[in-house]
Amino acid sequence: MADVVFDGVDKVFPNGVQAVYELSLDVHDGEFLVLVGPSGCGKTTALRMVAGLEEITDGTLTIGGRVVNDLSPKERDVAMVFQNYALYPHLTVADNIAFGLRLRRESKSVIEERVHWAAKMLDLSPYLARRPKELSGGQRQRVAMGRAIVRKPQAFLMDEPLSNLDAKLRVQMRADIAKLQRDLETTTIYVTHDQVEAMTMGDRVAVMNQGRLQQVDTPQRLYDNPANLFVAGFIGTPPMNLLAASVASQNGSVSVQVGEQAVPLSDEAMRRFPAVRGREGREVVLGVRADDLHRADRRPDLPAVNANLELIEALGSQSIAYFRIDAMVIGVDEDLIDEREADGEGVTAARPNLVSAMSAEDAVGLRTGERVPVAIDTKHIHLFDAETGAPLR
Amino acid sequence: MSTAEHLETSAAVGLGTRTRRARRRPRVLGGTWWRHVLAILVILWALFPIAYVTSAAFNANQTLGSATLVPERVTLDNFRYLVEGEVPGRPGDPPTEVPYLRWYANTMIIAACTAVLTVLLGALAAYAFSRFRFKGRRLGLLALLLIQMFPQLLLVVAIYLIVLHTGAVFGFIGLNTLTGLILVYLGGVMGVNVWLMKGFFDTIPAELDESARVDGATPAQVFWGVILPLAAPVLAVIGLFSFIGVVNEFVIASVLLQEQDKFTLARGLWGFIDQKYSENWGTFSAGVLLAAPPVVILFLFLQKFIVSGLTGGAVKG
Ligand SMILES: Nc1ncnc2c1ncn2[C@@H]1O[C@H](COP(=O)(O)OP(=O)(O)OP(=O)(O)O)[C@@H](O)[C@H]1O
Ligand SMILES: [Mg+2]
Repeated sequence: MADVVFDGVDKVFPNGVQAVYELSLDVHDGEFLVLVGPSGCGKTTALRMVAGLEEITDGTLTIGGRVVNDLSPKERDVAMVFQNYALYPHLTVADNIAFGLRLRRESKSVIEERVHWAAKMLDLSPYLARRPKELSGGQRQRVAMGRAIVRKPQAFLMDEPLSNLDAKLRVQMRADIAKLQRDLETTTIYVTHDQVEAMTMGDRVAVMNQGRLQQVDTPQRLYDNPANLFVAGFIGTPPMNLLAASVASQNGSVSVQVGEQAVPLSDEAMRRFPAVRGREGREVVLGVRADDLHRADRRPDLPAVNANLELIEALGSQSIAYFRIDAMVIGVDEDLIDEREADGEGVTAARPNLVSAMSAEDAVGLRTGERVPVAIDTKHIHLFDAETGAPLR
Repeated sequence: MSTAEHLETSAAVGLGTRTRRARRRPRVLGGTWWRHVLAILVILWALFPIAYVTSAAFNANQTLGSATLVPERVTLDNFRYLVEGEVPGRPGDPPTEVPYLRWYANTMIIAACTAVLTVLLGALAAYAFSRFRFKGRRLGLLALLLIQMFPQLLLVVAIYLIVLHTGAVFGFIGLNTLTGLILVYLGGVMGVNVWLMKGFFDTIPAELDESARVDGATPAQVFWGVILPLAAPVLAVIGLFSFIGVVNEFVIASVLLQEQDKFTLARGLWGFIDQKYSENWGTFSAGVLLAAPPVVILFLFLQKFIVSGLTGGAVKG
């Protein structure tokens, strides 16, 4: 067991693509760290550099206090679970699990004992004599896990190990892996592009975008205090509503201007954003979580804006309402940004730009196509600088 | 035994199992009788040359022209000559010495060594070309392909001179040595085989290598422990084909092996049907017939490796 420390790590591929920029990240001993980000942001590359499968272009990588930049995978003593499992098809489950131990020339009795221990941990005992092709996807996934845990390595590296499973099994394996990691207390770096997985599994979550680390923190703190627009829009389901707005003030009280409509800020909100006072006309981005939008008739105490109700999705106990409001949406996905540009300056987004999550009861009586007043809980809003994307404090 | 004949034999083997299965469920025959008729015709067609050779081998009459398919007089003399190593000459001439068993052993040694080494060296080269990125990789692959475009026959003179002069310094790979011939064969078959194997290795997911490397395997351990077992089908096919190829090869063997004791079967048996020993077609046929079993046995043995779906379950795609 050991900590894994990235210090200013760069990765430039031979074809000139830079996949990771200046990555500095400290994964503590025994910690479950989730590396999350959209496709192509460099997560896998970062993980493979830890495994020794990808050369480190610049910076240093330390595992357990030892600089490993120039060590072979074998010398690093880490275990990796691949997205597609990469089981040895010609070997039985038992031999697959024992493969790493055999290479280390462990004695027969040790191998036997450890394989049975791993198989028991993962409920694989009945399948030890089978070949990978005789297993279901979930069982194969567990064999891949078994191969990793049996060696008791310094660290586990997992690259989207659940992405090939069906939704239900994924939820179950999510819990199983998290529990296994807590029992073994082995430092783990877990890569995923699914932020729900990241939030539910990680002790801490590192958010990456376009090769750069955006923020590392506990799931709750990421949710509450996103360090920039990207993290704000990436973490949480449904994603945070991000709208172009500006600061306005009317006879002493400060408000946020969204399109033609003004949202007065409560005293509590003003305390959170002291910098806003006296900055009339400043361009900002208003961020509101879907949970902080309510029906105005249920929350008369809150300021409201009018928006067109476009669609309601009933999920059982909860309903997701999609509104369209007269304001520019700030995209953190590239395709959204492109769309905004195509629409031209000042034109509202073509698709719903305000999403609210309300209880199923509250959604009763709402009809699509109508103009509905939507209350905003300003106590919980986020404000970002429109230019830098940094949160206003 | 030629490759074409060989494939026919394998077809016959396959059909054999088919009829056996049909016997178990006779009702199935109903709509498929024509397949059986066709199969029987194919078998007859495939067996015809073998029948001729067999007939000639047991026929007391040494000439082909006057021979009938069913011999007038059946004899084992031809086989006896071969085993004893003496063929009677024309009336009045002394018997000719033919070290047939010696040729047989030579052929088996050369073919087995060539097949094993071809597979091994080819696999090593293919592994490097498939998995490593190094300077000259593309050039090397291209060169292998280009060199392959010239038939080995074109090189006979050059090969002869090279072996002659090398032999003057290193006797053990010179003219009239089995090792020399093996080396020449190895050079000749490398190109195509490396390409074939590289193509196969490329289909083995790279994650398997990487997984093994993270598990603590050196590149050599990855090669022996992961790649080779998974490549068994292509290795078996290449091993088989190079074995057959060497057993059949005539020109280079004749050029490089000039002492009777060093002959291969192809070179040695030729002597029965050129003018030198008159036309001993019967003895020739017996010799050819005896040469067939090793190839057939090797095929039956390797057949179980030549299966598809060996890599099933490795990765989920
Ligand atoms: N071998 C390579 N050579 C060149 N560029 C590469 C190579 N591997 C990855 N890249 C590039 O590096 C960037 C990051 O790739 P990476 O595989 O790390 O993304 P990722 O975050 O794992 O994405 P995903 O969630 O889709 O797996 C991508 O832009 C990709 O095109
Ligand atoms: Mg990836």
